[in-house]
Amino acid sequence: MSALLVRAEGLGKSYPKVYRSRDRLRALGRLLLNGANPDSIGVLRDIDLEVRRGESLGLIGENGAGKSTLLKLITGVLTPSTGRVTVNGEIGALLELGAGFHPEYTGRDNVAMSAALHGLGAAQLRERLPQIIEFADIGQYIDEPVKHYSSGMIVRLGFAVVAALKPDLLITDEVLAVGDESFQKKCVKWMQDYLEGGGTLLLVSHSMYHIQKLCRRACWLRGGEIVMQGDVFDVTQAYLAYHEKKSAPAVSSDTNVTAGLEFSVSAVELNGQDSQIPLMLQWGDAVRVTTRIRSRDGRTPSLAIGIVRVDGTPVYGVTTDMDGTAPMRVSDHEYACELEFEALALLPGSYTVRVHSMDPEGVRLFDTVERTFVVRGTSRESGLVRLPHRWKGAHAVDGAA
Amino acid sequence: MLSGALIRRFVTRELRNRFAGSLWGGFWALFQPLLQLAIMSFVFVRVFSARVPGLDAGGYAPFLAVALWPWTAFADGVLRATTSIQENAALIGKVAIPRELLVLSSVAASFLIHIAGFIAVVLVLAVASTGVHLAGLLPALLLYIPLAALVAGLALVCASLQVFVRDLAQALAQLLPLMLYCAPVFYDRMQVPPNYRWLFDLNPFTFYAETFRAILLGHGTFDGGRLLVACVVALGVLLVGHVLFRRLKPHFEDFL
Repeated sequence: MSALLVRAEGLGKSYPKVYRSRDRLRALGRLLLNGANPDSIGVLRDIDLEVRRGESLGLIGENGAGKSTLLKLITGVLTPSTGRVTVNGEIGALLELGAGFHPEYTGRDNVAMSAALHGLGAAQLRERLPQIIEFADIGQYIDEPVKHYSSGMIVRLGFAVVAALKPDLLITDEVLAVGDESFQKKCVKWMQDYLEGGGTLLLVSHSMYHIQKLCRRACWLRGGEIVMQGDVFDVTQAYLAYHEKKSAPAVSSDTNVTAGLEFSVSAVELNGQDSQIPLMLQWGDAVRVTTRIRSRDGRTPSLAIGIVRVDGTPVYGVTTDMDGTAPMRVSDHEYACELEFEALALLPGSYTVRVHSMDPEGVRLFDTVERTFVVRGTSRESGLVRLPHRWKGAHAVDGAA
Repeated sequence: MLSGALIRRFVTRELRNRFAGSLWGGFWALFQPLLQLAIMSFVFVRVFSARVPGLDAGGYAPFLAVALWPWTAFADGVLRATTSIQENAALIGKVAIPRELLVLSSVAASFLIHIAGFIAVVLVLAVASTGVHLAGLLPALLLYIPLAALVAGLALVCASLQVFVRDLAQALAQLLPLMLYCAPVFYDRMQVPPNYRWLFDLNPFTFYAETFRAILLGHGTFDGGRLLVACVVALGVLLVGHVLFRRLKPHFEDFL
């Protein structure tokens, strides 16, 4: 195990509730007397985090989850309210768009100021200035006041300074999103080289693509607390599944009324497992959907089975009627049927199987039962399914992911 | 973290901020005090015919000038530094920056500007042969050291309190002129009834006004014991400022 670079123990941050001027005076009195500040709103609670040298950690979470606050605590911009954080190395941080840049001064002046803030001496700055200007690649604008810059140019300049510093720990907070495609690529390339050279990265991004490309570990924050921490693919998938679920329209799953239905779904098993807990699968595993249908008047029902992603995007649906089959009769009012998908081509993510009971003609839909399964894996392919494919006129490259 | 390069950058930036957008820039730093000297000489000496016992008609201008310029450095230093944390709220909470630096560079900029003005005024007075001892210029500049320490201490106290209580800067703008008139700057201590003269010693600026005059004009006597007391007071205030600032600075971002 390599050396510990960042260690946060029980880290928390809360802001005092200050509504009126009188509250400020009271807060001052309290701080001077005993240092305590009880009336406060917590934004971050009990964060335990370790980052080792050479690691790359992605921070993900919704807006307001406390990601930026955590980064600011680590960089020392903010002071923790509880717990403590120790950093054993130089930090290069790109926290906010144009933070620390003075709008009236030129890019060149601001680079000098920024470099000085990062502890760079005058001689070192002179030596690295051409390199910074070249990396930023904003042409004549370097001698213009920063207030005339576009947001993309500000990020270019900011990143160029940090890149020239070659810090032990690089911290960036969703600033890449502002840069254009070519600059983003340049930054990602630089970060990859930096990581290969033993650098340590702490990245906040809403782009799971960037997180998965650059980070090996991820940490998911929600409401100021760590929900999940670990392998980047596990965490990002869980996070995406959470979002898919959140944005999916609420499905009414009222089962009390099913008894009176002409055809109701009485049981559904996925690979022999009958529970609401999602079934875990690997890519290419087989899935068997075993169902039982109650028929009130004993007629043979038909059955529809579909797979949708958790956000409701349909992937595939089929009925017994379409395939010219019908459920088998097991008793007077019970029918059973099993559908098998061998070697499921679905890409990693969360999916729902929906089983619908229908009338014998396959026209009216009576009942719906859902089961969830999760395809785990580290594939970086995008989309829903892996389509069979082959590259032609290409050759294998070493180290391809 | 508090590297030389960083301090230099901040002081230069502070100086540029003060003259930002003005056509003549730093020229004002020298021109303004001289213009002010001319105006004061006219108003006090010609219009009011102000006199100080023991000095002739032309003596009032240098009498006032050598005490007033250190006062300007004092007042400007305290007042501007008081709002320095509040005004740099954009930096605090965005970048890791030693927060003392904001206060101290503001004080340093004030002193650099007003010391330059002071030198210009003393040189002009010496050329005009108004009884200013040019040999006293170097000791006078050394006297700015305890004055700067005193101002730095007061600035640290005021800047950290200003973050919490925004009325402080307003109050100071009223209190500082009061402190000026309660110090023997426009008049001499000897002009007030003997029973009340000791009260002046409660004003920390009295020592500086009188000592600048003793060094540069030979008006009054230089007292080594009082210098020692002034140095101890300055260091004490600086220490209090340092302790208070360190106590409050972790909470600045919450109240800005």
